[in-house]
Amino acid sequence: MSTLTLRQAPPERLDFLNINPLALSRLSQGEVERLEIGTTRTGVRLGDCFSVSLDKSDTLTIEGGHERLDRVGASLSEGAIRVTGDVGQRLGAGMAGGSLTITGNAGPYAASGATGGTITIAGDAGDYAGGAVYAAKVGLDGATLIIRGNAGAHLGDRMRRGTILAGRAGAMAGSRMIAGTLAALAVGDHPGLGMRRGTLVLGAHGRMAATFVETGAHDLVFLRLLSKALRGLSPEHADLLAKPLRRYSGDLATIAKGEIWVAA
Amino acid sequence: MAAWVKGGATDAGTAIGAAASLLARARAPVIAGLSADVAAIRAAYDLAGRIGASVDTAGSAGTYADLASLSRVGALTSTPAEAVGRADVVLVVGAAPWQAPLLKRLIDAKPTRGRAAGSDRLVLAVGANATASLSWPAEGGLVEAVGVVRAYARGHLAGDDIPGQIAARLIAGQYGVLLYDPAELGEAGIEMLQGLAMELSEVTRCFTLAVGGVGQDRAVVPVSAWLTGQAPRSGFGRRVPEHDPWRFDAARQVAAGEVDAVLWLGAVPVARPDWLSRVPSVALVADGEAQAAEVVIGVGQPGRDHGGVLWNEQRAALTYWPASAPSDLPSAASVLGALRERLVRGQAAPRSEAAC
Repeated sequence: MSTLTLRQAPPERLDFLNINPLALSRLSQGEVERLEIGTTRTGVRLGDCFSVSLDKSDTLTIEGGHERLDRVGASLSEGAIRVTGDVGQRLGAGMAGGSLTITGNAGPYAASGATGGTITIAGDAGDYAGGAVYAAKVGLDGATLIIRGNAGAHLGDRMRRGTILAGRAGAMAGSRMIAGTLAALAVGDHPGLGMRRGTLVLGAHGRMAATFVETGAHDLVFLRLLSKALRGLSPEHADLLAKPLRRYSGDLATIAKGEIWVAA
Repeated sequence: MAAWVKGGATDAGTAIGAAASLLARARAPVIAGLSADVAAIRAAYDLAGRIGASVDTAGSAGTYADLASLSRVGALTSTPAEAVGRADVVLVVGAAPWQAPLLKRLIDAKPTRGRAAGSDRLVLAVGANATASLSWPAEGGLVEAVGVVRAYARGHLAGDDIPGQIAARLIAGQYGVLLYDPAELGEAGIEMLQGLAMELSEVTRCFTLAVGGVGQDRAVVPVSAWLTGQAPRSGFGRRVPEHDPWRFDAARQVAAGEVDAVLWLGAVPVARPDWLSRVPSVALVADGEAQAAEVVIGVGQPGRDHGGVLWNEQRAALTYWPASAPSDLPSAASVLGALRERLVRGQAAPRSEAAC
């Protein structure tokens, strides 16, 4: 297991786009320490801020995270990255495979555009987790995002595929959703606003927009299958589906093929 | 020329020298505001590129609400002149557009061109307690309200309550205009409003029109596009322009302690943000006052002290404004040019020195 140990707080935001197990396995100790990760005109090299220990394995541990570590695990295609601590924006953005585990909190846009793999955040996530960055057509696009703590506003904004599980989430969870599945124990106002298709499973919610209509309580085979699929990821989310569920259909402002299941 | 360093009046050369040394020491400088004529905006981007600064504008909240929606769903837009000349139905979304001078012009005159020429102009309101033909306060917030009107326009909701009547009037109109303030409505609301305009355009003509921008943001957007190929919030720390609206949000950067010098460009007067006083700063402002920043350099206001190309709200275009009261105050572009000369000679610290 290769390890990067943070020696002190970074003086500027760092870009970890090119720091992944596969890339590091092909480089020598000196080459890794000289990798440019700074974002200002002064710049920072990996060895300036981190102690580097390499073993060419497909697992990388970052000991001591920081909210200035941007794009950790972005575009990861294989292997595993574990961070003990916080990370900054765009955690696992565009990730295609492998696994990412964060023991602390993540900044905004976690898992944006991720097409595969599993991202687990033990703490909280910022706004737009599983959401789309500026000018991107989609947010989460096939990966699995698990947020054990709370998520900010716009969780799963424009998500197109994949699964998001979160504890509490802010306003506009699942806004402008294109497709996919999002489950949260509680969300703020206006869940699913502007959603076209997709499924939201909610334990509780704030104000429901007038463009969602209640379509009654249903007992569908699909819900039992979904519960079974979620149980391996998070039993408490799977339990939401065991309760009687009210179904809302919307958003009527769009093509209205989305659904929100609310545990009664 | 009015110039101050740490509150004490001084001459131009000393102030520019102090500003240059403040910027030269900085690891992550920011050039913010950008409320100026096109020449000064160009000079600001040139300086940013040479010193590795990032750029943000005075009205970026509204600008990015508009741009983010535009980048995803496009936009159906009109101009003030077209709205005044052709619109027979105007939907005012939110409270802010009621402060715009354009609204008075719309209320005071009838359409004079196109299919609706000579007919009465109907003014509808959503999200404000306004005196309009139909007014819907919309307690659920503006985004939801626009969504409800859109659902009626699509035929997904039916009935003759107020939002239903508003949708019916818009459908019956010959030329509809949806008036909004981008900062008030936000990205999600603007996207919903563009969707409404697109639904209505299936059966009639309907366009959106943004009012109430801050500073010269509307000038900065095309200038940054032609200089960098990107929207305003770009950073040059890694030599190439990188666009990241979250990372280069100046207020966020200051709050997170990532910035160590700010150059505020306010040649066209605009409110200065609170965070400016929390970081070493240089201000190039037309309404110069000693306490505005650590280093303050008074510059001419384009269109008053000297000529300049500015955003013309009425024509919805960049136009040249000659000096209405010429003075010997330097232009912001010339001060930024002088700063660039000093900084290029002094060369900033090279990248990749040991940093931690």
